[in-house]
Amino acid sequence: MKNWLPWTVNAALAAACGFALLYFVDPTLRAATAVAGLCYIAFHSPRRAVHVRKTDPVAAAKASDIKRTPPSPVATPPVQLPDAEDVPTLVDRMIAQGRTALLLRPEIAHSLPPNEFARAEAALEESMALVPAGEVRITPRGLEQASGDALRSDRTISLESFLLDRYPVTNRDFQSFVRAGAYREMTLWEPAIWPAILQFVDRTGEPGPRDWSHGTFTAELAEHPVVGISWFEAVAYARWVGKRLPSDPEWVKAVAWPISAEGERPVQRRYPWGDAMDRRLANLWNTPPGTTSVTSYTDGGSVNGVYDLVGNVWEWTYSPFDALAPARLRWETDAPLKSIRGGAFDTYFDTQAASDFASGEDPFARRHNIGFRCAISLSELRLSDARETTSLHACTRDTSPFPSHSHPEAAQ
Amino acid sequence: MSAAGEVQLQSLHMAAYLHSLRCYVCDAGNHCETERCRQCAAPMAIAHQAAALKISPKILVPLSTSQAGKTTYLGLLTDILSRQHQGLHWLARGACSVSLQQETMSYLARCEFPPPTPDNPEAWHWVHCQVLREGQRKPLDLVLPDINGSAVEREVNHSQNDCALRGVALKGAAALVLVDANRAAAGGNQEDFATIKLLAYLSEQSADPKKPWSKKPVAIVFTKADSCDVCREDPLAFAQQHLPGVWQMCQERFGNVRFFATSVSAGSAHRLDRYGRRISVPLRIEPKGVVEPFAWLMSGMN
Repeated sequence: MKNWLPWTVNAALAAACGFALLYFVDPTLRAATAVAGLCYIAFHSPRRAVHVRKTDPVAAAKASDIKRTPPSPVATPPVQLPDAEDVPTLVDRMIAQGRTALLLRPEIAHSLPPNEFARAEAALEESMALVPAGEVRITPRGLEQASGDALRSDRTISLESFLLDRYPVTNRDFQSFVRAGAYREMTLWEPAIWPAILQFVDRTGEPGPRDWSHGTFTAELAEHPVVGISWFEAVAYARWVGKRLPSDPEWVKAVAWPISAEGERPVQRRYPWGDAMDRRLANLWNTPPGTTSVTSYTDGGSVNGVYDLVGNVWEWTYSPFDALAPARLRWETDAPLKSIRGGAFDTYFDTQAASDFASGEDPFARRHNIGFRCAISLSELRLSDARETTSLHACTRDTSPFPSHSHPEAAQ
Repeated sequence: MSAAGEVQLQSLHMAAYLHSLRCYVCDAGNHCETERCRQCAAPMAIAHQAAALKISPKILVPLSTSQAGKTTYLGLLTDILSRQHQGLHWLARGACSVSLQQETMSYLARCEFPPPTPDNPEAWHWVHCQVLREGQRKPLDLVLPDINGSAVEREVNHSQNDCALRGVALKGAAALVLVDANRAAAGGNQEDFATIKLLAYLSEQSADPKKPWSKKPVAIVFTKADSCDVCREDPLAFAQQHLPGVWQMCQERFGNVRFFATSVSAGSAHRLDRYGRRISVPLRIEPKGVVEPFAWLMSGMN
């Protein structure tokens, strides 16, 4: 991989390694170490991507399969190593881009000055909510209404604690990704789909979501969830911000908020607010057509303050569609599908927006009603001890219909 | 039974036949207590309501070959309109008019497609409803049958066999011709030929020489357009490209025709049902373009 890097980033990497070694010798070099590490993460330059396309024979062969002319590489200025006092600027920039999770990776976080670390941590807590570890019940598609133990094929899955974005990724969020030249940053993408990246363009042929024009969105849709993106674009964005897509069980856990009594199957909700659909709490069929701002339905949030989980747009998950279904109920499709959850503004039946309903979609499809949000495992981050123990309480809403003693966090 | 009793019973039957009621669809005389027309199997309730309320419901003729998605489309259309949509509101007249909606919705809610309409005319759904339109004071009474696709094909190929279809085609005020977009896009011209036959049949039926089909609104609706982007974006261009024969016939014989694209689900896949049969299953229900053809037909029926 190092062969692909332009000399400037190599220099940053070398500096990071050198300073990391020095750090153990002299703790006063903490700030300099942070600068070097940040440089490496922040300056994933498009120039590096161009280099990949030129030298990698596999990528070159695959790219030649597509007749389309590749978009011109964006010229980027040489990367300058910032001074130690520029760390706040870099942190600001990364927080503004929604890349806070990168700052809190252990390899970076331990080098951040305390005030910058605290700022990053606060930004993370503002944008993500903790879903505690525990079990979740997944019902394979087609067995939602099955009765009797013989027919039920629920799978109970144990999950570690993770953080989930409070809102779906918006057009404004995604703009940062597009502007940073991430469509040409090949390391963000699965090598197998490199040829397809050239087809991930907007109406005007620029890299970006399907319905954008000239690499940007319509101004009034800034806070609407980004749609018209494939599963691969969602995965690439998640990598760029230092996160990942939630798995199917993780998404269900965030909505259904399972409560497990000892030895019993988890009791789950159908919707974030309870078991009955309330059309005032989600953007589903028969409301004004189209997506709405991600903050339009704040009363429809989950127990821990995650919004827009139901309705507005379907959300890509990382998992294959119906992977847990019994063999006799497996789907036959032209291509393996990825699981999507939550329903959209044009979902006709309430039941299809419920937590126990999954649909599937071709990972290359760029639908008008599929967006995504990101997640990250708690174990992948370095948070302050106080924050780790209190963040669940901090992000829990007071409107839970469950008695307080039923909450998993009540035991903590 | 005594001879006197038998005479009384026969007199009663004769009296009943004297008080016969004509089927609203095929005009055959029926016993006033008959539930379905003895000739075309249309519900006599339509004739009863028309006579009692002194109304003349207009007939909308849905035509398609088999497996084009007619039942799914009509069932969902009735459901959407019953919730009021795009200034149109649908009120069923009589319990039998709700059956199509009820059955279709019960399947779609489970994310399954409803089974094809049976070949037996007694089992066909007939919807009689009032359509309330925004800006129009007077509601429109409408009859909408869901006729089996194979029966349509038989009637089109061997005219004069099916009284029900002939009746609705003769008296129809507007027509919905449904065409499977995927079959049309696949090439081979079979869908083109099949649709030409439907239109040719329709153009030859008219009870009133002053109101031929060339003057009535005909909506040609491409179904299952969810998996055919080209069709969804421009159904007219799609028709010109993939159904050239239909396009030509519409130009020559139908003066009031428009092309639409519709879809009920967002993609479908196959799986085995509980009996081991391979069935097509919708991935999720996201209706698109369902009401537009109907709204256009309603505006043309004024």
